[in-house]
Amino acid sequence: MAQTITINPVTRIEGHAKITLHLDDQGKVADAMFHITQFRGFEKFVEGRPLREMPSIMARICGICPVSHLVASAKACDELLAVEIPAVAAKLRRVMNLAQLVQSHALSFFHLSSPDLMLGMDADPKERNIFGLIAKHPEFARDGILLRKFGQQIIERLGGKRIHPAWVVPGGVNEPLAEQTRNEILSEIPGALAIARRTLEWFKSIAPKFEEEIESFANFPTMHLGLVGPRGELEHYDGAMRFCNEDGEKIVDLTEHRRYDEFIGEFVEPWTYLKFPFFKKRGYPDGVYRVGPLSRLIVADRCGTPLADHELTDFRLRLGRAPMSSFYSHWARLIECIYGCEKLVQLLEAPDILDEYVQSRASVNRLEGVGVSEAPRGTLLHHYRIDRNGQMRWLNLIIATGHNNLAMNRGIKQAAERFIRAEKIEEGALNRVEAVIRAFDPCLSCSTHAWGQMQLLMQLRGPQGELLHELRRD
Amino acid sequence: MAAKPKLAVFKFASCDGCQLSLLDAEDELLAVADAVEIAYFLEARTRTLEGPYDVGLVEGSITTAHDAERIRRIRDQCQFLVTIGACATSGGIQSLRNWADVNEFISQVYAHPEYIKTLATSTPVADHVIVDFELRGCPINKHQLVELVAALLQGRKPRVPRYSVCIDCKRKHVVCVAVAQGVACLGPVTQAGCGVICPAYHRECFGCFGPKEQPNLASLLGHYANRGADAVQLVRLTRNFNGYAPEFREASDDLETAAALGNTPDAPS
Repeated sequence: MAQTITINPVTRIEGHAKITLHLDDQGKVADAMFHITQFRGFEKFVEGRPLREMPSIMARICGICPVSHLVASAKACDELLAVEIPAVAAKLRRVMNLAQLVQSHALSFFHLSSPDLMLGMDADPKERNIFGLIAKHPEFARDGILLRKFGQQIIERLGGKRIHPAWVVPGGVNEPLAEQTRNEILSEIPGALAIARRTLEWFKSIAPKFEEEIESFANFPTMHLGLVGPRGELEHYDGAMRFCNEDGEKIVDLTEHRRYDEFIGEFVEPWTYLKFPFFKKRGYPDGVYRVGPLSRLIVADRCGTPLADHELTDFRLRLGRAPMSSFYSHWARLIECIYGCEKLVQLLEAPDILDEYVQSRASVNRLEGVGVSEAPRGTLLHHYRIDRNGQMRWLNLIIATGHNNLAMNRGIKQAAERFIRAEKIEEGALNRVEAVIRAFDPCLSCSTHAWGQMQLLMQLRGPQGELLHELRRD
Repeated sequence: MAAKPKLAVFKFASCDGCQLSLLDAEDELLAVADAVEIAYFLEARTRTLEGPYDVGLVEGSITTAHDAERIRRIRDQCQFLVTIGACATSGGIQSLRNWADVNEFISQVYAHPEYIKTLATSTPVADHVIVDFELRGCPINKHQLVELVAALLQGRKPRVPRYSVCIDCKRKHVVCVAVAQGVACLGPVTQAGCGVICPAYHRECFGCFGPKEQPNLASLLGHYANRGADAVQLVRLTRNFNGYAPEFREASDDLETAAALGNTPDAPS
C-alpha cells in the first residue's frame, strides 16, 4: 500500500516549505521531496532599477545573512564598473563579512541547534528552544548570546545597524574605519575567541554521543564547493571556487567567476521553486555537491591561522579528510568561529586598515558582472546584466541553500528511512528529520527556527488519500 | 501583574530580520525572557494556535490566500496586535510586484509556474485586520522594540517618534544631502527611527521607516522635479521598501499618471 507523508515545516507560515515522504507498499520511505513554496520575486522587480541600489535591495533577501548579499552584490557591481577597489576597502569588507560569519554561526549553533544537543533530541519541545536553554543552562546560553552580539556589534559599528546595513557599496565601502572603533573591536576579540574555544571543546566531548544522528545526517559521499585563497587556505571573501571530489581531492579551481555556468548547471524539478544546481561534467543528479562550513573545511588545504589550523588538524585526525555526515557541520562552524576571531585580529592590525581612501568611483564599464563570496551557509553567487544606463536588466542568484538542495533532499530521505516507521509518526522522528534540515542550516530553516522550532505538519496518507495519522506542531 | 503576559511572534512573507531584532537585544533578551512568556512556541504542539495571547508581534506581508486566512485567526487570538517592520506595515519590498503582472514574474523565474499559489499582491497586515500598533522600519530599530515591550508591560502607549528623518539629521549635525548635494531624498516625508544612517553616509533616504505623520509628498516631489529630477527617478524613489504605504503609493501613482499625460509635477506654490 503506497502512502504519502507530508511534513509542512515552514517559517511559521504554512506555505513556505514542506516535506513530502512517499512510502512504498512495505511502508518504507521510497522518496523524499523538500518543497520551497515561498515566492517574493526579487529577480523581476529589480528590473530597471539603478546599479547603485542593488546592494541595499539585495540585502533585504535575508535578515540573517544580509551582509553576505551586500558583499556578493557589491562585488558583482565592482565588475560592472570594472574597478579595482582600494586594498583597505577589501579588508574592511572582509572584516564585516567575518563578523557576519561569527554572528550567524553563533545563531545557528547556540540559538537553533544546541537545544537539541544540550537537552536531547527527544526532549520536550516546550523546553527545547533558546528560552529553555536560558532557564536550564544560563552560562552556556549567555556564551551564545555574547558571541552573536560580538559579531552583530562589529556590523553595527561599521554599517550603522545590524540588519541591512548600508555601508558596503559598489567600488568599496562608504566610510573609513575610525581608530577608536578598531581598538574597541580588537579589545573584544579575546573574549569571543575564548567562547568559541570552550564551546568547541564541549562539542568535541559530546559529539560521539550522537552516533545515530552522525550516521543518518546526510551521511553519503558528494562533491564539495568552496572558495580558497591563493595558497589553498580557507577563504570567505574572494578567491578561486574550488570543486573537490568525495575524498576532498581538488577537481578544479575556478578563478574567473564569470565562467561559473561552464561548471554549474541548474536543473528544475516541477515540484519545487528552488532549482537544483549540479556539477555539469557529472550531469544531473550525479553532479550533486555541497557547500557550507563543512565543505569549506574539506576543500581548503589549511585555515591559515594558528589556532584554527590546530583544530583543523585535530578534526582531520579524528574524522578523516572529508567526513560525510552533515552533523559535523556544527563542528566546522565552531572552527570557523575561531578562525574568524583570529583573522579579524590580522586584518585590524594591518598597517593600512585606517586608510581613508575607501571607495573607487567609476561609471558603467561592463554590461555583465558576477560576484561570489562565502555566506555563512556556503557559496553565494550574484550575476547581473545591465544596460548602458546602468539599469538592471536581468539577474540570477545561486544561494547556498540552492547549492545544497540536492544533498538536502537526499539527506531528508536518509533520515526518514531511518527514523520514520510506517503507520505512526513520533515527535522524536519529526524532530530528527527537521534536525537534518537544520544541520544544512538553510536560510529558510534557520529563519523558521529562530524562535524555537519550525512549524511542522506530517501526514500519513493511504492510497485513497485517507488520513491515517497526523502529527502537527504550529 | 499576576501572571506573565503571553507574547507570540508570527511570520509572513519577509526576511526574518525584524524578529531577529528581538534576539539582537542581547542585553535585554534575558530580561524579556524573564518578564514575558513566549507563549506561541511553548504551546507549540497543539493543532491550532492556542490563544489567547496578550501581545502578538507580526512580521511579514500577506501574499497568499492562506496567509489572509491565517492573519484573521491570529487577530482573534491576540488582545494587542502589533505589526513589526516594513513588510507587515506596508507590504515591504515585495509589494513592488503590485505594480506588475505577477504571472510574468513567476514564469520568468520558475519553469513550472502552475505550482506557485500566490496572490497577485503583497499587502500590509492592516489591509486584512485591525492593527493596534505599528512598529516601522526595514528592519525595525531594536530600541523601539524594547520600548514597545516595556510600554506594553507597563500598560502605557509606546513612545515612538512620528516626526521626520530631517529632525534627527539636524540633531546629529548631519549635512542635508538634499540641500548640499541636490539629490532627491525621502527624509522630509519619512518617519524617524533609523538613526539617519544613509544621510550620514552622504546618501539619500530610501524611506525605510515609511511615511511620517502627515507627509506632503506632492510638494516635496514637485520641488525635486523643479530642480530637474525626472518622473521615472522619482517614481523609483518612492517605490521602495515602503512603496505600498498609502501616502507613498498615491504619490508614485500620481507621478506616473502625470508623466503619461505629459505633465510635470506641480511646483509648490
